[in-house]
Amino acid sequence: MAGIFSTVKRIYLAIYNWAVFSGWLQVLIFAIKALNESGPAAVYDNVEKPLQLAQTAAILEIIHGLIGLVRSPVSATLPQIGSRLFVTWGILYSFPETRTHVLVSSLVISWSLTEIIRYSFFGMKEALGFTPSWLLWLRYSTFLLLYPTGITSEVGLIYIALPYIKASEKYCFRMPNKWNFSFDYYFASIGVLGIYVPGSPHMYTYMLGQRKKALSKLKAA
Amino acid sequence: MKVTLVSRSGREVVKGGIELEDSATVKDLQETIHARTKKYYPSRQRLTLPAKPGVSARPVVLNPKSKVLDFCEKGNSDNLTVLFKDLGPQVLYSTLFFFEYLGPLVIYPLFYYLPLYKYFGYANTERTIHPVQTYAMYYWCLHYSKRILETFFVHRFSHATSPLSNVFRNCLYYWTFGAYIAYYVNHPLYTPVSEIQWKIGFAFGLLCQVSNFYCHIILRSLRSPSGNGGYQIPKGFLFNIVTCANYTTEIYQWLGFNIATQTVAGYVFLVVATSIMTNWAMGKNRRLRKLFDGKEGRPKYPRRWLVYCCDGSWPLSDVQCLLNLCGCSVSGFSIVSSMSVQIP
Repeated sequence: MAGIFSTVKRIYLAIYNWAVFSGWLQVLIFAIKALNESGPAAVYDNVEKPLQLAQTAAILEIIHGLIGLVRSPVSATLPQIGSRLFVTWGILYSFPETRTHVLVSSLVISWSLTEIIRYSFFGMKEALGFTPSWLLWLRYSTFLLLYPTGITSEVGLIYIALPYIKASEKYCFRMPNKWNFSFDYYFASIGVLGIYVPGSPHMYTYMLGQRKKALSKLKAA
Repeated sequence: MKVTLVSRSGREVVKGGIELEDSATVKDLQETIHARTKKYYPSRQRLTLPAKPGVSARPVVLNPKSKVLDFCEKGNSDNLTVLFKDLGPQVLYSTLFFFEYLGPLVIYPLFYYLPLYKYFGYANTERTIHPVQTYAMYYWCLHYSKRILETFFVHRFSHATSPLSNVFRNCLYYWTFGAYIAYYVNHPLYTPVSEIQWKIGFAFGLLCQVSNFYCHIILRSLRSPSGNGGYQIPKGFLFNIVTCANYTTEIYQWLGFNIATQTVAGYVFLVVATSIMTNWAMGKNRRLRKLFDGKEGRPKYPRRWLVYCCDGSWPLSDVQCLLNLCGCSVSGFSIVSSMSVQIP
């Protein structure tokens, strides 16, 4: 019984990881193509659908962590996926004025490169039982550059969206009402920017710790 | 006898060790360490026996009241190696509680009395103060004044100190939620509930606050002033039904406040506070059941409800407790919603 369950789990995770991998591969290819042919302003329109699909699929990873299917702590996956979904849907999708900014290109490339490496790493582990050491090295080293570029792009795009957020009144809920509740999307977005201040060093040092563990295991092997 | 004091990394904390009389207590050892190191006052020291290789049991903590000799191995009463850990700067629990409760006590009336809402874009909104808003402010201030007075005159703490970092963490929690709730209840566009609803809410809340105070008195009497801060089985009043009757009454007290004031902010605070206290209650329940297992002449800790609706005698998973929490929050919401519908 336990044997069947772990096999099913492996097959499911293998399919999941390779499927999302192909989504991000598409994003990267379309992005580079657009950059070559038209320039940064055209990148978003070319990647929108695979980007939204691949990024939103990551919600499953939180569930995987909660039900114990994977070992990653929810405290590390939740802020990362939260910020990605906020930028993808809450900024780029909701405020088209931001789509032509050059930071979209750096964002999309940082995200897709990181995710291509990450999903193929997990996909190989589930499907083949091992990962080649060069992939392990990539997985635990490229973040050193791609985290800063990705985070800068995310923060930058949220920041340039602020005036549009304020003017549009989108997603705002005002008083008076029976539940004495209000929500101001502009202040919430500023709040999200604030979270990046402790959040980014937390994520970066977490990955540094993971890198140390992973690469020392490699040396020992 | 000689005590060798080492840190986790093997470094000697006090070079050359410490010479003590055979009759010395751990408290004497702590004071000597303080004298020799200047920086590490006793409440900052965590002294344990080094773990035996291969044994993964919880480390033996050196109790200040015990004699140092008690921790020596049989046959070796001249030497003892003690593991030292620096717990970091410590504050008295009463200091911690005072500052975390002072924030809400001061911040809430600011929103009631001062024209702060012009800074939130409501400069031109006229403000009529509803009676419920005034009573809410009195209720809130009564609650936090009570907490401060209890801190200094009622509570007897099991540990004298708490790490300094907890001051920042706890103040962030209390002060932020205090401001968040105060903003909405005192808002110029605040919508009050019906008079009967807020009267019932405050009355119920006050009843729970009085009960909560009585629970604290009972807990106080379990610990003698010079005692070792150990645990006893709480008896009497609501402790015959629930393990942590003090948390139960506190939770229902906040429910009363929310029924009266009806803000999402208040209910969010209720849910968060309830989950924190439920966690504590689970730990306390586990500890009491372990300590009072009925063996070796110890009394057996009787079956008790956990906080308000889960049975404390079977282990609950996080998911089950979350469901219980949601269930109680939902029932709280539905009680209030149905009242607002029926009583226009």
